[in-house]
Amino acid sequence: MAAPLEATVRQQPNAAVIDLKGDIDGAAEDALQKAYGDALANKPRAVLLNFANVGYINSKGIALIVMLLAQARKSGTRLLTTGLSPHYVEIFNITRLSDFMKFYPDEQSALANSG
Amino acid sequence: MSSTPPPSEKQKSSEQAWAKPSDRLNVEANMPAGSMNLNVQGRQLNNPLQGFGQMWQKTYRIKLIAPRVPATGKAATPQDIIAGWKANFPKFWPRGNNFYAPLTEIQPGEVAVLNLKGPGGMPLSTGVRVIYVDDEQFSFMTPQGHMFAGMITFSSEQEAGEVYAQVQALIRASDPAYEAFFKLGIIGKMEDEFWTATLNNLASYYGASGQVELKTQCVDPRWNWGAAKNIWHNAAMWSGIYTVTTPLRWIGKKVSGKK
Repeated sequence: MAAPLEATVRQQPNAAVIDLKGDIDGAAEDALQKAYGDALANKPRAVLLNFANVGYINSKGIALIVMLLAQARKSGTRLLTTGLSPHYVEIFNITRLSDFMKFYPDEQSALANSG
Repeated sequence: MSSTPPPSEKQKSSEQAWAKPSDRLNVEANMPAGSMNLNVQGRQLNNPLQGFGQMWQKTYRIKLIAPRVPATGKAATPQDIIAGWKANFPKFWPRGNNFYAPLTEIQPGEVAVLNLKGPGGMPLSTGVRVIYVDDEQFSFMTPQGHMFAGMITFSSEQEAGEVYAQVQALIRASDPAYEAFFKLGIIGKMEDEFWTATLNNLASYYGASGQVELKTQCVDPRWNWGAAKNIWHNAAMWSGIYTVTTPLRWIGKKVSGKK
C-alpha cells in the first residue's frame, strides 16, 4: 500500500534540506513541488534531498525528480542527495540522474560540500 | 559489527520492478526480414536532461467508458488494462510503425527496436529500454539518436469509479535538427497523432469508447546547448543514409557472390 509523501524543509546556512518520508510516486507531485518552493525561499546555493525515510520510488516519482532537477538547473541551484540505499543509487544510475546529482553518505558531508 | 537489515517487501518489489543498470544497450530481439536494426546496439540511454530542445511534459489521457476484459467479458480494472497493454503493446501502435522486443510481454530491462515512420514518411530505426514495470504502470527510456531524450510512462488508474489510461512523456528533442522539426510542428504533431491512435486502439481492444485529452506543460523553455553534439547520433540521419545506400549494398552483395 502506498504511503503518501511528506516533505519537510529545514533551512541551513548554505543549503535547504528537504526530508522526504513515504513513497515518491505520481501522487507525490504537490508535496514535492511545495517543499521545493519553500526550500528556495532563502535563495540557498543548494537543496539537499534526504531520502533516508523514502519507502518506494516508481517511474512517475523519478520523472518528478527529473522535473526538480530541471528547475534547479534553470535557477542555478545545486541539487544534492543523501540517504540513498544501494537500490536507490542503482535506480539513479539506470535513469542517469547520477550524472546530475551528487550522492553523499550523510547530511554533514553534503552540507560541507554545498557551498 | 554492523549487519545489513533484510530487504523489506517494498524494496523487494521495487527491485523486481526496476531494470538492472546497463551502460550500453544490447539488442536481443529477433528482427524479421525487411526490418532495420540500427541506432540501438551499444547506445546509451538519455534522460530528458541530456537532450537539446525545450523540455515538455505531455500527457495523453482517455477515460475508458465501460471497458471489458476481452477473454471473460468482466469489467476491466486498471490492473487488467495494464496487463493487456503489456501483453499486446505492439498491436496498439498505429499501422506502419513496428516494435520489436525479445519477449512477448513488456519486461524490465528489455531493449526493443522501433521501426517508425519518421518525418516525411522516411523510415526511422531507433529503440527504447523498458526501465520500470509494475501492475499499474510501465516506463521506457530512449537511447541516443532517438527523436526525444526522455522517459515515457504508460499507466492506468481508477478515479471516481472511472477507469483511465494514460501516456505521459517527459521529453525534449534530442538535438538541434529534431528541435527544428519540433518547432516546425512536424514531430510534435506526429507524436500527438501516434499516442492518440494508440490510446484509441487500446480502448477498442477493451470494447470501450472515449476521447483522448492532451495536456502539455513546458518544463524548461531553454535550449541545452551542451547537448547540440547529440546530432552525431541522429537516428533519422543514419536511417536515411542506410535507406538510400540500400541499392549499393545489394550490388555489393551480388558482386561478391553472397546471397
